[in-house]
Amino acid sequence: MFAKLKKKIAEEAATAPRSGVRLPRTISKESITSMGADSGDDFASDGSSSRDDLPALLLRRNDQMRKLEAKLSDYAEQLRIMQKTKEKLEIALENHQDSSIKKLQEQNEFHQANRAKMAEGMTLALDKKDQEWMKKLTVVENEKTALSARLDEMMEQSLTLFQKRDDMDELDGFQQQELAKVKHMLLRKEEQLGQRERDLQQQEAKLHSAKQRLSETQGKLQAVQKQHEESARITAELEIEREQLLLLREEADKKIGDLDGQNQKLQLIIQQVSADLQKSQSMVSFSERSLQDLQTEHNALKLKQQKAAVTEEDKERMLGDLQKKVNSLERQLQGNLSQDDHLLELLQERSNLEQRLEETRTELLEFRTKHADTVNSLEAQVSKMTSCITELQTLLRHKDESSRSYRERTDTQVSKDMHKKKIPNTQGEWSAEKAFLDQQLSLLQQQSLEKKCRLEETITALQTDKRTMQDMMVDEKEKPHTPLQVELDGRQKVSTEIAKALEESRRQREELQTQVCVHIPTCQPFGARQASLVQLRDEFEHLRVQREQIEQDKDSQLAHLREELLSQTQQQDTCQARIAYLEVEVETLTEQLHMCDGNHNGSVTVDDLDHIQKVNKELEQQLSDKNKTIKQLQQRMAELKRTLQKELVRLTRHLPCMFLECGRKPEYPEKTHKEMVCAELPQASSPSLSTANTTVTNTSDLNDSREINFEYLKHVVLKFMSSREAEAFQLIRAVSVLLNFTREEEDMLKQTLEYKMSWFGSKPSPKGIIRPSVSGSSTPWS
Amino acid sequence: MGGFFSSIFSGLFGTREMRILILGLDGAGKTTILYRLQVGEVVTTIPTIGFNVETVTYKNLKFQVWDLGGQTSIRPYWRCYYSNTDAVIYVVDSSDRDRMGISKSELVAMLEEEELKKAILVVFANKQDMEQAMTPAEVANALGLPALKDRKWQIFKTSATKGTGLDEAMEWLVDSLKSRQ
Repeated sequence: MFAKLKKKIAEEAATAPRSGVRLPRTISKESITSMGADSGDDFASDGSSSRDDLPALLLRRNDQMRKLEAKLSDYAEQLRIMQKTKEKLEIALENHQDSSIKKLQEQNEFHQANRAKMAEGMTLALDKKDQEWMKKLTVVENEKTALSARLDEMMEQSLTLFQKRDDMDELDGFQQQELAKVKHMLLRKEEQLGQRERDLQQQEAKLHSAKQRLSETQGKLQAVQKQHEESARITAELEIEREQLLLLREEADKKIGDLDGQNQKLQLIIQQVSADLQKSQSMVSFSERSLQDLQTEHNALKLKQQKAAVTEEDKERMLGDLQKKVNSLERQLQGNLSQDDHLLELLQERSNLEQRLEETRTELLEFRTKHADTVNSLEAQVSKMTSCITELQTLLRHKDESSRSYRERTDTQVSKDMHKKKIPNTQGEWSAEKAFLDQQLSLLQQQSLEKKCRLEETITALQTDKRTMQDMMVDEKEKPHTPLQVELDGRQKVSTEIAKALEESRRQREELQTQVCVHIPTCQPFGARQASLVQLRDEFEHLRVQREQIEQDKDSQLAHLREELLSQTQQQDTCQARIAYLEVEVETLTEQLHMCDGNHNGSVTVDDLDHIQKVNKELEQQLSDKNKTIKQLQQRMAELKRTLQKELVRLTRHLPCMFLECGRKPEYPEKTHKEMVCAELPQASSPSLSTANTTVTNTSDLNDSREINFEYLKHVVLKFMSSREAEAFQLIRAVSVLLNFTREEEDMLKQTLEYKMSWFGSKPSPKGIIRPSVSGSSTPWS
Repeated sequence: MGGFFSSIFSGLFGTREMRILILGLDGAGKTTILYRLQVGEVVTTIPTIGFNVETVTYKNLKFQVWDLGGQTSIRPYWRCYYSNTDAVIYVVDSSDRDRMGISKSELVAMLEEEELKKAILVVFANKQDMEQAMTPAEVANALGLPALKDRKWQIFKTSATKGTGLDEAMEWLVDSLKSRQ
């Protein structure tokens, strides 16, 4: 860098004495004198040699002397010639001098005249030049004014253009805003539409679902209707059945009436039976009485038996007596041995008698046992009969109670049935059951009749038995209570049978009641079904109403949506109208613009806009181009100004030279600078994009960059010296780059700065690296 | 040793100055931005032949802000200042569409430097107050910022004379510097 500086300084120094170079005569003289001086010096140096070489030197000197003498002779000759020539020349010179003086004088005069002329010419020329300059200046000023005017015009134009552009921009902005608004509105409308559509779709989906539900409900309804029809059919059937049942019921009622009648009859019969029973009871009591009588008779018989026994004893006593008699007789016989025959006879008689006695005794015993048996059996029978009678009585009572309860139940059931007339389904069953019951009743009646018959038969059999028994009794002991007993037995049996039959009937009734109870709940689901039917109908009605409502809602929504759509379309229309209006406005504006530009485009289309935009763009381009040209002009003007200033400076600096050079000089640097400017301008106008980092090594710019670099160096060094260590540390590199420091020097600087910055550490030694920076292999930077 | 102690010292007080370079072409407004950041005023500037260095305190963070002159002849000296740089504020004249290419090539050349590999890049799309100013997006595209990889960068539209956008940019810078630590 120093080298450059030095160079620069040298150049600067060289530029200053540039005018001196133009005097070559003086230099030639100096060179001649210097040559002579040099030769003299050589002699002097030769003379100062040693004495050892004196002979040689003497010889040489002699030779030289000789040579010199020869030379001197030559020179003398030459001198002579020269003197001659000199004389000639002096003469000539004198002549020449005279002539030259004359000439000089002439020339001087001429020169002076010329000079005066020249001065005049110069003044004239200067005036001319001044005038020219003035003219040029005026021209330049004119140009400047023209340029400024043009600039103003351009500015105005640009301003107007800017205004127009602003207007256009504004308009565009408005338009865009409007368009954006419209678009926004459109978008919103579209969104709304989309929303509406979505809503519609949703509604449709809802409708579909509703329809589906409706169809489902319709299906359900159909099913329900079917069910309803079925139920109606069932109800019709049931009604028919009911009618039938009613008929049946009537029949059943009739039958019930009949049954009641029969019941009454039966009750009558029962009453009769009870009467009979009472009668039988009375009979029983009578029979009991008779039994008592019989018992009394029996007692009497016993008494008789006792009597018989007594008689037997008497007879036995008699027998004993007889035996005593026999014994006496035997003794008499013994005493009267003669009387053997008689005795034998007597003995025979006696054995006969004894046999007879024995027989009678066995007979008696047999009779007695028989009698006892019969009596025992009778007594058992009587006891049985009494127990039976008591049982019968209880049974009868039970029967009465049961019949009463039965009657009551039948009454209640009948009343219930009367209540349940509305439910015809059960009535059929009921009637069927009633029929069944009737059948059963008839069966029972038949059975009872049969039983009655059987009872009667048994009674008759019993009666016959009784009779036989009575006969037997009569035969045996003529007991009168047997038939009664038989009758009682029969009665009892009959009564038991009746009781059984009644029990059976009661059981049947209970069964019927249970059946009825079973049937009642079966009737209830029907009611529930009817209720559910009604509910379903209600639901159906409700659904229908809902569907209608939904349809109405949807219709209203659709109408609303249509209205909204209409309003939106209206808005759109208005928007479009507005757009059209705006377009028209824009067109009018463009027309106005065109009017301003002088162009008349009558076409009123959207293309105009594009055209206008194109025109606008073109105008903008023109504007930018003009701006560029203005910039360039400005730059050029700046450059011109700079060069002017520089030239002025140089003029002031080199004024004497310029004056010496008779004003020929000023044009040269200007020219060069103009060339420089011309060389610079394309560079400025077309900046190198790729190699922006490369330093400008252009010779034309070198001066400038060096100036800047020097300034830069100055600034950096100043800062480096004045700033804090921390900042200075960062500046080492810059300084070392600017001053072409070697790496070692840079490191040294760093170390010293670090030492300064830190509190500790030792000062780094220079290590003898300080060398002239020129010799150092500095890192070249581009 | 001294460095060790100074590092302890700085660690104790936590006042390591962040080194920030303000770069950009000449006339982008670097010096105006620097003094706007430091004193909060608009100063009248002359073209910087050399540099300006100021200490700016922002949110308890001390910045050593270097504003390097951006003229073509002294642009090559930028690289002398790259070492130990935490962040680069690259100022672009948004209204100067013609020299956007130069600005881009300068930026690209700068970002290729090894010493700036870890530096955060903040681009100031300056002179937004001018009409015909490019938008930050345009500036970013013109500078080829979206193509940057392995670089934390952000662009801000600023107006140094109006003082707009500087706070946001510095906020972002402080945040990203803090987050990087």
